[in-house]
Amino acid sequence: MVIKPSGPNNGSYHKNTSNVIKKTAGVAAGGSKTLQALTSAAVVLPGLLLSSAQAAEGDHINFQYSRYQEGKRNLFGIPNSLDPIRADVLHGSGVFSLTDRAKFSFNYTQDIWAGATPIVTSPLAADPYNRILENTPDGVTVTGASPLINPSRGVLLDRNLTPLHRTDGSQDTRNVLVLASASPEVRNQANFRLGYEWDEAEINAGAGFSLENDYRSSFGNLGGRMDFNQKLTSVKFSAGYTSSNISAILDHDAAPYLTKTAFSDQIKRRSDGAEILRDERRDWSFNLGLTQILTKYALIDANFGYTFSSGYLENPYKAVTAIFVDPDELNNGLSTPILGDVRALLEQRPNQRHQWAFNAKYIQHISPFDAALHLNYKFTVDDWGIHTNTFGASWIQPLPGGWTLTPRIRYYSQDSASFYQPFLISEQNFSSQAFDSQGREIWVDALNPDIEYVRDGNFNLIDGTGNPVDESILNVQPKTIPFDAEKLPNNFSSDHRLAGFGALSGGATLSKEFARGVTLQAGFEYYTRDSSFKLGGGGGSGFADFDYYVANAALSINMEAMGGPGSGAHAHHSGHDKSNHKSSTHTHRHQQPAGLMFAHMLDNAGDFMVGYRFMYSRMGGSLLHGSHTVDDQTIVNQGCGNEDLCAFAPAEMSMRMHMLNLMYAPTGWLNVMIMPRFMDMEMDLRELDGRPPPTPDEHQHFGGHTTGVIGDTLMVSLIKLYETSGHRFHAGLGISAPSGKTNLKFRRTFRTDGGAVHYGMQLGSGTWDFVPSLTYTGEYHRWSWGTQVSGIKRMESRNKSGYRLGDLFQATTWLGYDLTRWLTANIRGVYTLQDRIHGEFNQFNAGIGPMDFPSNYGGQFWNIGFGVNAAIPSGRFAGNHFGFEWLQPVHTDVNGYQLDRKGALTASWSYQF
Amino acid sequence: MGSFMKFKQKPLFVIVLIVLFGATVSGCAHVEAWERGHLAKHQMAVDPQPLQNHIQLHNYSSREAAASTHAVDGGGGCGCY
Repeated sequence: MVIKPSGPNNGSYHKNTSNVIKKTAGVAAGGSKTLQALTSAAVVLPGLLLSSAQAAEGDHINFQYSRYQEGKRNLFGIPNSLDPIRADVLHGSGVFSLTDRAKFSFNYTQDIWAGATPIVTSPLAADPYNRILENTPDGVTVTGASPLINPSRGVLLDRNLTPLHRTDGSQDTRNVLVLASASPEVRNQANFRLGYEWDEAEINAGAGFSLENDYRSSFGNLGGRMDFNQKLTSVKFSAGYTSSNISAILDHDAAPYLTKTAFSDQIKRRSDGAEILRDERRDWSFNLGLTQILTKYALIDANFGYTFSSGYLENPYKAVTAIFVDPDELNNGLSTPILGDVRALLEQRPNQRHQWAFNAKYIQHISPFDAALHLNYKFTVDDWGIHTNTFGASWIQPLPGGWTLTPRIRYYSQDSASFYQPFLISEQNFSSQAFDSQGREIWVDALNPDIEYVRDGNFNLIDGTGNPVDESILNVQPKTIPFDAEKLPNNFSSDHRLAGFGALSGGATLSKEFARGVTLQAGFEYYTRDSSFKLGGGGGSGFADFDYYVANAALSINMEAMGGPGSGAHAHHSGHDKSNHKSSTHTHRHQQPAGLMFAHMLDNAGDFMVGYRFMYSRMGGSLLHGSHTVDDQTIVNQGCGNEDLCAFAPAEMSMRMHMLNLMYAPTGWLNVMIMPRFMDMEMDLRELDGRPPPTPDEHQHFGGHTTGVIGDTLMVSLIKLYETSGHRFHAGLGISAPSGKTNLKFRRTFRTDGGAVHYGMQLGSGTWDFVPSLTYTGEYHRWSWGTQVSGIKRMESRNKSGYRLGDLFQATTWLGYDLTRWLTANIRGVYTLQDRIHGEFNQFNAGIGPMDFPSNYGGQFWNIGFGVNAAIPSGRFAGNHFGFEWLQPVHTDVNGYQLDRKGALTASWSYQF
Repeated sequence: MGSFMKFKQKPLFVIVLIVLFGATVSGCAHVEAWERGHLAKHQMAVDPQPLQNHIQLHNYSSREAAASTHAVDGGGGCGCY
């Protein structure tokens, strides 16, 4: 072998080499040159070099977790107790060959984000924050500030309309962001792609959707690639269409203070009082690209993109401060400061946008280091007036032992949109009294504002025909004329993403390829936005500067490189594989129910297994006390302890969990495994009949709420205790690390602290837990069976939030039958006993319903499980194992007052190699 | 509309540029199949770290106003924060 590419392509290279020999044998001539041609020509195979990176890899599966964390915004000394934005992103994707030429790929992404985001920009002189005062032993102190988007005191301006400092009257041209916090929100995106390759061309088609509570989009695309000139040149093209529906729930704290007249047709009021803005947008995109090999050591990739967007292109949660100035007062000839009326208008962007982007990447191999230098430049322009320039560089350095280190740096600069303004000043009144042609004030009935009245000289109300009207049967008020929208600009936004600024970011990625196609990657990036970094200077939006970091960890499994039974690259593993197949006919078919953990052991020293398990469970229906349903009035009186009355109860709750499972057998009798868990939970509340009357400060819960995403991490050793033909005992000793948060809080509303989210919606136990298990498995011919006892013992008396979850004991027994050689059906019974929660939140919790009280957790639960397991025996997907199980509750006996259970689904995939 | 007309010239110009550029380089460069060993290495791939790259582009697009050459792929959601 002359050339042995390093990195994850290793396996596909081997595989492809054998194909190449057939394809190029007729072309090559001459001894050593033939060998050279044969071995080197591998690289010109379809998909290996000139197509996108995703197509270039063989069949593979990826998991990635990343965290985006912003730093605190600068509020010029105003106390800021709000948590900055954080987003957790889970990603899973896979590429599978359906035939030699057809490929299927899928992507799934889940984002959960929460934190404080700017809703409006305001002159600092308008002082758009209300200090939150708290009584402490040292006296009254300021603990935070809540936003005011309509500071009722207004702002003082000089005669040139420059804001003046409220206390000393000096000019103050500083602006400040007005932040509001958001409770966690979830986005789910799924898409797939089908591709078909020829020797010198490829076509592909993809589609997908992205779902959020307030934003739903679906998209499709078509693309292709053609290679020319002995694959020195490759041309790519694609077209895509996205259709999005917006149904934004306007912030119930902010909505009453927003001026929404420009969108009154789109805004509807829901029965619970929430205001919903509905609209649509469409995006068409086109892409044309070229990849060109320049020399033996360099290539260039250039792309041109065009996007046309139309419809509602605003951000429904952003408003613009508009200061209304009375023109009569402004022109009264005096020089004293005047008072501006500070209002907030929903932002208005153009309803069309044309964008062009050009991107070029130059890639140079640096032979002395066997490294690659990637230089990137991007220029974009649009008809909103935004020009951007991006310069990027990265250095990809392979290191001994399968390591790769990639440092990178990026600089970005953009001009401001033509309609970007931190705030507006309009020389008119926000609203003014209406007068008729004779100069008389017009009055209207509040219930029937189309009929106008005036007052005669004796202040008696008269109608349009001059007849007196009985004022006592009407509810009259002066008629006001709203501001003239024509005097405002057509478009305005103070979203700082449309301002002029520059940004510098840098980071590094470290990856390690383990044996047999498993690659772990970890990356970090730090990003800082700075108005003064803008090319040519003059960003002028320094008040919006911020920074963020992103950390990510990824696991890639290249299924062709793993040497599994279906990979075609397993010649050197054949002995090993045979022993695997042999053992699999005896004790080792992995046919335990999918929802059961710690029941499967790897047989041979050196075996690896990667697995993924998805679990969904739902609670709903009636509330139970013990094992009996209970009426609302009883819950009101007894569900919230001895001192409080309940006002709300859960109507429904669902939980989704994604669990990764990495398992390794260092010896034949010991397995070690690590299982990171990611989860999200959703709960809908309902008001209880007979609840106590609401108080002015009550915690409002419109609809549902959500939490996520990192749960606790399990680390377990499985130890084989005894094995004889058809029977095996093994023990599991596990530790659960408290990586899941237990201090999640609801957002603060203007007046009240949200408090801790219910115990059952926190993401972990918060304590280090001991997780032992003892498992017996047996099998005879087509039958398999087993039994397991397991438990969770909390090893600390309190977590840092002041409580601990109850200990747990579980016993289960199952029976399975092989329907075919590869398909097993099983049934099992499960009994679970869990103690109540001990201790309680050491921070504020609203205590509005049974789910906020520790005695309403735990109980005894009986389930029956129905499952099937499939182990793909041969063909392209050989070695993959799939399992499904439905757990049906048969009897429930809860502690205290809890929602009934509706069942749980488990789906699992694993691959052993 | 005026600004739109002005920009309308640009894509055509860029397309012509790409095609000309491609034709020129492909005419002069001559790298035989067996000379492409370095080019086949993982670090020389156009997108050697697609997972990280995807995350980065998503973050940039939610914080910056630049157009994308990946817009065709769709998705990404509202980014309303």
